[in-house]
Amino acid sequence: MSEQRHVTIVMIEDDEGHARLIERNIRRAGISNEIRHFLDGSSALHFLENDDNGPALNGPALVLLDLNLPDMSGTDILSRVKSNERLKRTPVVVLTTTDDKVEIQRCYDLGANVYITKPVNYESFADAIRQLGLFLSVIQVPEIEA
Amino acid sequence: MSLVRSPLSLRSERAFNGLVVAAVALGFLTLVGVAAFGIGVMRDNLIFTRWVAHTYEVEGAISDFLILDERTETARRGYLLSHDPVFDTTVASTATQLDRALRAIQQLTTDSPVQQANVARLRSLVTTQQRAIAVSMAFARGGHSDTSDFYRDEGVAATRAIRQVAADMAALEQRKLTIRTAGQQSTINQLIVVAIAAGLLLIGLAVGSVWVILRYTHQLKTSRAELHDLNAGLEAQVATRTADLQRANDEIQRFAYIVSHDLRSPLVNVMGFTAELEAAAKPLTVLLERAEAEAPGIVTEDARTAVRVDLPESIGFIRTSTQKMDRLINAILQLSRQGRRILSPEPVDMARLVQGIADNLKHRSTELGAEIEVAPAMPSVISDRLALEQIFSNLVENALKYLKPGRPGRIAITGRTDAGRIVYEVSDNGRGIDPRDQERIFDLFRRAGAQDQPGEGIGLAHVRALAYRIGGTVSCESALDQGATFRVSLPARMSIEKSA
Repeated sequence: MSEQRHVTIVMIEDDEGHARLIERNIRRAGISNEIRHFLDGSSALHFLENDDNGPALNGPALVLLDLNLPDMSGTDILSRVKSNERLKRTPVVVLTTTDDKVEIQRCYDLGANVYITKPVNYESFADAIRQLGLFLSVIQVPEIEA
Repeated sequence: MSLVRSPLSLRSERAFNGLVVAAVALGFLTLVGVAAFGIGVMRDNLIFTRWVAHTYEVEGAISDFLILDERTETARRGYLLSHDPVFDTTVASTATQLDRALRAIQQLTTDSPVQQANVARLRSLVTTQQRAIAVSMAFARGGHSDTSDFYRDEGVAATRAIRQVAADMAALEQRKLTIRTAGQQSTINQLIVVAIAAGLLLIGLAVGSVWVILRYTHQLKTSRAELHDLNAGLEAQVATRTADLQRANDEIQRFAYIVSHDLRSPLVNVMGFTAELEAAAKPLTVLLERAEAEAPGIVTEDARTAVRVDLPESIGFIRTSTQKMDRLINAILQLSRQGRRILSPEPVDMARLVQGIADNLKHRSTELGAEIEVAPAMPSVISDRLALEQIFSNLVENALKYLKPGRPGRIAITGRTDAGRIVYEVSDNGRGIDPRDQERIFDLFRRAGAQDQPGEGIGLAHVRALAYRIGGTVSCESALDQGATFRVSLPARMSIEKSA
């Protein structure tokens, strides 16, 4: 578990309410990793690819990705991440309201590791996020080779 | 847009018909006229021929008479010269023959007074001649052979006169013949002129008729070509409209999808933070209880009402409303997703499909004490199987849902072919639908009757949308408490629409 401490959770979510609810429920699941929250795709990509503390240059990370973003499509971010040599092993959890079959298939085709539909019912939502938290606590995230 | 416009108006068509009929009638009239005229001319000709024959007869009789007369004269002269009694008998026999010949002429020329007068003259001349002959012969019989006063004999003069009169008569007949021939010739000329005129008229009529017919045919051809163009235009227009409709439909589907989808996002927040609020209210309640126990002085009535009544009530209303909204949004989402599904027609054994639905609902129907009867034989269709399954399971489920309490439910599903379409009926003996509500129930979120069953008013809207998509219709026939019959009319073969 000590290794896990260093894993940064990169949350790309344009809805601040959703982001807050996700964060609260992750914390409730006992996950205390740093959560970096981005409201749009470009700044998130910038952090992922170029930031000194970003996963491409420093340390392991896990991406929580919403598909409906104001400036770009979540699938574009997904394909950028998965086609980046340094980022492609970074686990991406797609967490979105879309439950369209075609969209889900497309995300897995692009290399998404997990696809979760946000339940509208809050109990289910909270439950799902807490379980995701539990999942995150046991998940092994690959180290970035220097 | 206007209906088919033709350059051949009804009026011109009628005028054309009139013209053709008139031309044909005129042609026939001309032919009849010419024929009648020809018959007249032929009859004239017959009469003329008879007259010609008559003329020759008269001429023949005159010439017979002349020959006889010459013979009498010759016989007399022979007798005077030779005293041969043969000549005597010849004279005697020709006298009666002469009389007969004269009578024949007289009979033949009863039509002409001039000839009758001539005949009378001939008769008197013959009498004179005969008398002279008799005198001279008697004189000769007495032994005289002197012929010196022969030239003074009145018989010679009579004979000459007879010749003259006979020649006159023949000439007269000949003149008459000439006149008649001229008349005949002019009639024939008239006939020729009439025939030529009729021929020209007929040719004119023929040319005119052919021209009119050709023009009419040409007009027909033109109008047919126009019709064809118009038709092609119509088809193109229909195609354009269909494409427009398709586009509009796609737009609505997309709109429904985006709206319902994007509405969910804020709804997650509303529901989420409501739950958070509820959770946050719990410590407050605990705090209130502790305050009431430890320091009742600081607890105001307002605070108590706020924590105990207002907060839970407000949160409760927010919850039920958001849950309802969630269900509605999900329904729209589901409908729009159905609309986007690509249909694939295949042969569907409807009896089996409906039996399958009945079997799936067996558990519920037994629970409700209802019976589902599926007709063993039903016409099959070529259509989208999934759509049909959804349509009929919705209808059968509805029938089960709205049974009349206290009456054992009976649901029957039948099918038949009707005027090229296949009609299926799902009838029940349930609580029925008020006729006023029978169109409303197909609208989204609308329901009828007592609201004692769970549901959002989506099923029938869904059924109708599906039926429309596979080229069918669905209608309802019912009266309150009398059960209901839902009729689904489908094309035997679904046409594949251009998918979105």
